[in-house]
Amino acid sequence: MTTVAVLAALLAGAYAVAVLEAWARTGRMRPGGPLFAAAALIGRESFVPRKPDRLFFEAAPVLLLVAAVLAAAVLPWAPGLVIVDLATGALFVNAAFAYVLVALIMAGWGPDGAYAMVGGWRFLGQLIGYSMLIVMPITAVAMRAESLVTTVIVDSQAGVWNIVYQPLGFVLFFIAAMALAFLPPFDLPTAPGELAGGVEAEYAGRRLAVLRLARALLVVAVALATTVFYLGGWRGPWLPPWAWTGLKTLAVAAAMFALGGRLPRVREAHFLAWCWKLGIPLALLNIFVVGLLVLAVP
Amino acid sequence: MHAQTFFIAFFGLAAVWFGVAVFRTSSMVRSALALLFSQTAIGAMFLAMQTEFLGVLQIMMMATEMSIMAIFMVMYMMDPGGLGAMEMTHQKRFSIAAGAIGGGAALAVAVLTPWGPVVAQAPAAAQQTRALGLELLGRSMLVFETAGVTILTAMIAATAVAVRRREGKAAR
Repeated sequence: MTTVAVLAALLAGAYAVAVLEAWARTGRMRPGGPLFAAAALIGRESFVPRKPDRLFFEAAPVLLLVAAVLAAAVLPWAPGLVIVDLATGALFVNAAFAYVLVALIMAGWGPDGAYAMVGGWRFLGQLIGYSMLIVMPITAVAMRAESLVTTVIVDSQAGVWNIVYQPLGFVLFFIAAMALAFLPPFDLPTAPGELAGGVEAEYAGRRLAVLRLARALLVVAVALATTVFYLGGWRGPWLPPWAWTGLKTLAVAAAMFALGGRLPRVREAHFLAWCWKLGIPLALLNIFVVGLLVLAVP
Repeated sequence: MHAQTFFIAFFGLAAVWFGVAVFRTSSMVRSALALLFSQTAIGAMFLAMQTEFLGVLQIMMMATEMSIMAIFMVMYMMDPGGLGAMEMTHQKRFSIAAGAIGGGAALAVAVLTPWGPVVAQAPAAAQQTRALGLELLGRSMLVFETAGVTILTAMIAATAVAVRRREGKAAR
């Protein structure tokens, strides 16, 4: 029952995220948009490129979908409303997100097309930039909670949310989460207008529908992770806990879209330089400061 | 208990099957990703053996490591895009002999070691994480730090060898 409820919430989140993304891009709010787009994609022919690596080509969209759902499976919507409350939840989120990379490399390699392959390998370069900035801020979050269990992490924010307790970690995680979900300005693997869709270029019809759904779910998963780790999860007055989680998740996603739409696409080399020369020292500083705080303010 | 045995065997066989696939394919990327899924299956074996932290860690690390290996494999190929097919084996006789000896040694260790009594009840997952943390920051710290510094030295040395000296500084 819990599983069904969480999956329904994720699907609703994906729908809302698709509406928000279109709104941020076109400036028009069309609540029916995602449904029409999905119907159109499913109705269209899903052609297969010449000489594909068929296994990778077919598996990639499904693997992306599975990775996003698995990451969301350990993140709680409300007390008790979580698919599995793993003892290593905060680590498991990272493990699931790591397979986003595998899925995109497979999607890039599979179709045997130049744009797709450039997109796939670009994402690997992007991962080398953002991955440490996902893991190290989560380390500081787990340090404060003294646990990797996601529900305990939410409980640890009963007094002060982590966005106040460790704002530096929040900023780093937020940027890295945008890069992980390849949202603009970090949309290097898809890069519309430059790579003609990149990893999405050779997909059409129902396969593209799965890929787009997986991408929307991935955005929901990273926004939900930001909510659980930094924004106090289900905590808030008046409304029921699940409503707070949903509202905060959508607010995080909206902030990502609003911010991304106003920035030019970063270059791969610049992104790597910023992540390694500025991001990782700041993440280490964050761990140090949080360590001091945990010792000083129990 | 039967379910546990079944899943350990299932993921073990999956790991072996993907391991074989590494050499059966003629595509660099397929080979690297087959190795990735072989290692992921070993991570799933850890999970089936109720060692949650180690299992999740294995599954996480391998995804990025093997993908990075894939791009290095493609980079060092003659064919820059890596789209050409190539043979994944070399020095066949030597490899078969080394594989047989290594496999035999592993089996001998598994069979001949007196493992002592099997723990009837695995400690809770959170307890395991704590015990691992204490172990890594205590008794095993020197081992891990030594390995880490060795790898770092190798990386710096490899970079230093690979970087071309600038014209003006070459004479120094």
